[in-house]
Amino acid sequence: MSGKAFFENRYAKLGWVFEDVRPRQAIRINRTRIANCDLVERLAIAGVTTEKIPFLEYGYWVESSKVSVGATAEYLLGLYSIQDAAAQIPATLFTDLKKKLVWDTCAAPGGKTVQLSDLMENSGPIFATDVSKRRLFALSNHLERCHVSNVAVFVHDATKPLCPKLTFDRILLDVPCSGNFASDKSWFSRRTEKDVRRNAELQRALLAKSVGYLAEGGEIVYSTCSLEPEEDELNMDWAVRHLNLEIQEIDCKGEPGVSNVFGQRLDTSIENSRRIWPAETQGFFVCKLGRRRDGS
Amino acid sequence: MKVILEFAQSVHASELSFKADHVVEDGGRYFVLGKQLLPLVQKGFFYAGTYLGKAKDGKFFPSFNLLALLAESGGRSVVLNRKAAWLFICGRDILFAGIAALRGSAKKGDNVLVLNEFGDCLGFGRAVEDLQSKAEAKEIAVKNVSDIGDFLRRER
Repeated sequence: MSGKAFFENRYAKLGWVFEDVRPRQAIRINRTRIANCDLVERLAIAGVTTEKIPFLEYGYWVESSKVSVGATAEYLLGLYSIQDAAAQIPATLFTDLKKKLVWDTCAAPGGKTVQLSDLMENSGPIFATDVSKRRLFALSNHLERCHVSNVAVFVHDATKPLCPKLTFDRILLDVPCSGNFASDKSWFSRRTEKDVRRNAELQRALLAKSVGYLAEGGEIVYSTCSLEPEEDELNMDWAVRHLNLEIQEIDCKGEPGVSNVFGQRLDTSIENSRRIWPAETQGFFVCKLGRRRDGS
Repeated sequence: MKVILEFAQSVHASELSFKADHVVEDGGRYFVLGKQLLPLVQKGFFYAGTYLGKAKDGKFFPSFNLLALLAESGGRSVVLNRKAAWLFICGRDILFAGIAALRGSAKKGDNVLVLNEFGDCLGFGRAVEDLQSKAEAKEIAVKNVSDIGDFLRRER
């Protein structure tokens, strides 16, 4: 099953009426490199006007720009990164990141890796892995540009065992996903339900493997830019039922995750996750998980 | 480590802000690892800590991270006006007219760090003339060797 009507119908069943959107361009200030107000002033001199994103501490919309925001001196100096506003949310959901051991499992091209490092103020090690060596060149450039110093990058398939055996305080699972139409205008003609199910299987494999590396009291943040419930709520329900995980409350932009998907009732804690339908941002899903505390 | 020290000396940087025994080399690429990474990472990595540069065919190519560290250590540098700074990161050489200030002294052939008006290091170049000399404003003072516009060129 595929096609625009097929997916639109699914979104309607999840409670959202399809509308074509064009997400606003957003940047994230690297706070360890420069203060918000100083960068805003410098960008204004360069001909870039910005507006604070209300739900992000270091995020700004690009209102207008006489130059490409990806080619200013400030960008090349790593004072900010170009990052969709919704994609800036996952890294901010971890508690107390400083000096923690962090694993960014599917790290390339590295926007969230740099953000994690920035939030940690370059303290505590981050292991950044990705299965694609080619994509790690982009990640490495990103790290050098932003003067990141606490990240070690490895070519690694996160569905396979990690060597050396470490346990991590924080694990980011920003998993490969089907994406969404807001960031890909040909999305409806390229994607099928079969693709979605294949991605959902890979995501479960990543979840299952990463749990084995979660330290006591550790946190996992799971995110996708997919609107398909198989990759979002249904995977979280599966994780709760099969991986001895519980979903933790988060306070961020978005609607509560859908706990009734096409007639299938899910664990009610799914509502603690957040689903962001495309509008100013692209579509997004985010959920925070920890080991179940009641031992059940 | 020798290549890094030699480059630091070439721009008169007084001291390095990292310890030599924290530097690891992997296939000609040099990284400095902070104390948080050092016990965890020694080999098999793709990138780690702060990238310092690479040595190839007897030449050392410093990273922009290393150049920034050397600038912080007081390395020999020129401060450019706004227009010259923009032209420099577009790959252009520096004219005498574009230099707002000189920190230290630079003779013909010396390596020179290049800073913008905010003190950010934009790259480095090689003095074409003695920079203290009273040359024509439109003459080239510093030949561009490496600038941060390279981040864009790499992705092409």
